[in-house]
Amino acid sequence: MIKDITFGQYYQTDSPIHRLDPRIKLVLLVLMIVFLFLAGNAWSLIFCGVMLFAAMLVSRVPFKMYLKNMKPILIIVIFTSIINLFYTDTGVTLVDWWIIHITAGGVYRALFMAFRIAQLILLSSVLTYTTTPNDLTDGIERLLSPLRFIGLRGAVHTLAMMMTIALRFIPTLVDETDKIMNAQKARGADLESGKLFERIRALIPILIPLLISSIRRAYELAEAMECRCYNGGVGRKRMKQMKLKLRDYIAAFLCLAVSAGVLLINLLPNIPYVD
Amino acid sequence: MTPILEVKNLTYTYGGNSPFVNDAVSNVSFSVKSGEIIGIIGHTGSGKSTLVQQLNGLLKPTDGSVLFEGKDIWENPKEIRKIRSQIGLVFQYPEYQLFEDTVFADIAFGPKNMGLSGEELEKRVYEICELIGIKEEYLEKSPFDLSGGEKRRVAIAGVMAMRPQVIIFDEPIAGLDPKGRSDVLKMIKDYLTAYNATVIIISHNMEDMALIADRLIVMNDGKLVAFDDTDKVFLNPQMLRSIGLNVPIVTRVFEQLKAKGYNVPNNIFTVQSAVEYLMKLKREGEHRD
Amino acid sequence: MEKIIEVKNVTFEYDDSEQVKTVIKDFNLDIERGSFTVILGHNGSGKSTLAKLLNGLYKPASGKVLVDGIDTADESTEIEVKRRVGMVFQNPDNQLIASIVEEDVAFGPENLGLEPDVIRQRVDDALKAVGMYEFRRSTPHHLSGGQKQRIAIAGIIAMEPECIVLDEPTAMLDPKGRAEIIDTILKLNREKNITVVLITHFMEEAELADRILVMSNGKILADSTPKTVFSDVSLLKSVGLDVPQTTELLYALKSGGADIETDVLSIEETADAIAKAFHLEEI
Repeated sequence: MIKDITFGQYYQTDSPIHRLDPRIKLVLLVLMIVFLFLAGNAWSLIFCGVMLFAAMLVSRVPFKMYLKNMKPILIIVIFTSIINLFYTDTGVTLVDWWIIHITAGGVYRALFMAFRIAQLILLSSVLTYTTTPNDLTDGIERLLSPLRFIGLRGAVHTLAMMMTIALRFIPTLVDETDKIMNAQKARGADLESGKLFERIRALIPILIPLLISSIRRAYELAEAMECRCYNGGVGRKRMKQMKLKLRDYIAAFLCLAVSAGVLLINLLPNIPYVD
Repeated sequence: MTPILEVKNLTYTYGGNSPFVNDAVSNVSFSVKSGEIIGIIGHTGSGKSTLVQQLNGLLKPTDGSVLFEGKDIWENPKEIRKIRSQIGLVFQYPEYQLFEDTVFADIAFGPKNMGLSGEELEKRVYEICELIGIKEEYLEKSPFDLSGGEKRRVAIAGVMAMRPQVIIFDEPIAGLDPKGRSDVLKMIKDYLTAYNATVIIISHNMEDMALIADRLIVMNDGKLVAFDDTDKVFLNPQMLRSIGLNVPIVTRVFEQLKAKGYNVPNNIFTVQSAVEYLMKLKREGEHRD
Repeated sequence: MEKIIEVKNVTFEYDDSEQVKTVIKDFNLDIERGSFTVILGHNGSGKSTLAKLLNGLYKPASGKVLVDGIDTADESTEIEVKRRVGMVFQNPDNQLIASIVEEDVAFGPENLGLEPDVIRQRVDDALKAVGMYEFRRSTPHHLSGGQKQRIAIAGIIAMEPECIVLDEPTAMLDPKGRAEIIDTILKLNREKNITVVLITHFMEEAELADRILVMSNGKILADSTPKTVFSDVSLLKSVGLDVPQTTELLYALKSGGADIETDVLSIEETADAIAKAFHLEEI
């Protein structure tokens, strides 16, 4: 049932990472992604992995939640790995049979890429599991706010408002889709069988009411916003002020330490037989 | 005689950790005779909507069965769409399901899905429109140009045009103005009389229930707490109040009289019965004088 | 009594693709500060248009609407008008903006540019006033219709308005939700002295007002206390409106020849009237 979808990734619990300022979390995420890509040898990538593992532990989000996020990208990981496996031609040859030519370098690249993509996903999951969609939106809005100095104030505010409203209405529209689907099914609509073209056509009785109701909602929401003195964000002040606290500085310091660690470990010689 | 609809130990639980668990239905059984009007009452979240969606196969029961004319509706899952045309379901705010260019096409959507076409289809649409009083000049209009009450009637006509033997309404008068409300109640009665159909209505309006329902199903927390003649259900106001419901206003007036120390009957549920009782009392009084 | 809203000779029309439709013509109305007014009328009677004229959402084509003496047509004081006259609409889903209750309630005060700690205070007060404080961190999506509508009301009172206009706020709610909203409205009116204008189709709600306006075709057909308005059963029926079931009963008895009081509304008063008019046997 569509109804069962919970929107967003947030996992409700209390952990030091949950309590961090969303802005600092966003900045640190970007920083760590950059350094994940700067990790140039096996040792530094493993170091990143260990640090990430530590962060996942601290986040108090169950590991099965993290694994759940890995499932959809498994195919990409496998695909990249295979390409790397067959198209890298460095290091000691391991298999050379018919058209298959596998080298130690290939195996290394395949594992390296898989491990890197997995870390990338897990790293982002740490952010999304520990930060509510609202806080994320707020964080993005405030991080982008310097853009107002180059005349983009309106754009930043509009973007943030759009995200807020989208977050608010997605569950409502999901529910509504479910209701309309049921109502049309009760009128004998066949949504489950037929060829592709027929199935697409069968969506019309769902999409049109959904579209019409969304327009009506948008119109009513606009009026409601106007009634609450909204005029495009001019002179608007937020209730929640974000202030960096000691823990945010500590988190930033730790991430910088990890970054420095990656750069240092990069200087070590890579594992043998692969280059 | 086999009941037209029989529900046996119906249970439905929403899967997993869904926040909608309180809408579940547990172990509900009842049977409905042909031509009856059954009311379903219960506060929001008591399982009414989940219950009726199982009656026409939109939801498959977790346990238990629904028998239509003695046959399990899930006996052949491929036939379930046919069941949905025989047991019609009008959702809450059905006007939100309108989508065609014209009123005609929208009403024809259901019958068309049943496989009707050409003259037969047209006849279906015209017949239902005549019965419930949708004027012919409306048929070529866009349903989106109609007023709220008219939209509601067109949407209901769209289900009635499939000519279901059992028709279920989920709060058919919610959100309408008084005229809209009486129009919709009238069209339900007209349909019932014309096709000798069976009607099941979910409603919060006890005054309407007293007027139209033969029997009432009372739901609370997913369970059926009472299933009896409407009069008998309203004779038990304590039970209704304990689950957040009430009796019709007229009945409350008579309760008040009783509380003031007058010997009045407790089976007065409609304005008409109250008037009949009091006027009879008056005539008898004058007779004595 | 001091007037909070004055509607003076207002005409309102809109372009309906082909022709100009006049919804309201030469309309006059005063709303007194602290009063509780109910507007009745069938769909299309112009009552929603009137509501939107009261806070400047619609601007009159001619005539004037004054809120606390401020002309709603004056663009420079638009925010002043909207802050003084808040509006609550029928569908609670379509008026909540944020996905966290307290952030939604904060939306209005935030737009007013208040200081963060003032906003916080107002949000907490507003949520307490509607009895939703404990839900401040919840997601509106998981609340009942009545609870969502109470949050919508909190979002308005956080702006500290003088008057709240509610356009069929209970139409989509179940009886429990309706009772919650009506209790909230009464409390705001009586305890905070907020002026209330309520549009409804439920006669039990209309009974509670100080004053009822009956509208039809953009005109006022009746303007009086609930008892007087409901005593004209034929007028109400002629414009497609209902009367409370108690009134219906008393009128049926009267037209049946009973000598009975008809200008009562509550269940208790109705019972008394019946006891007085009929020789009921005592227990």
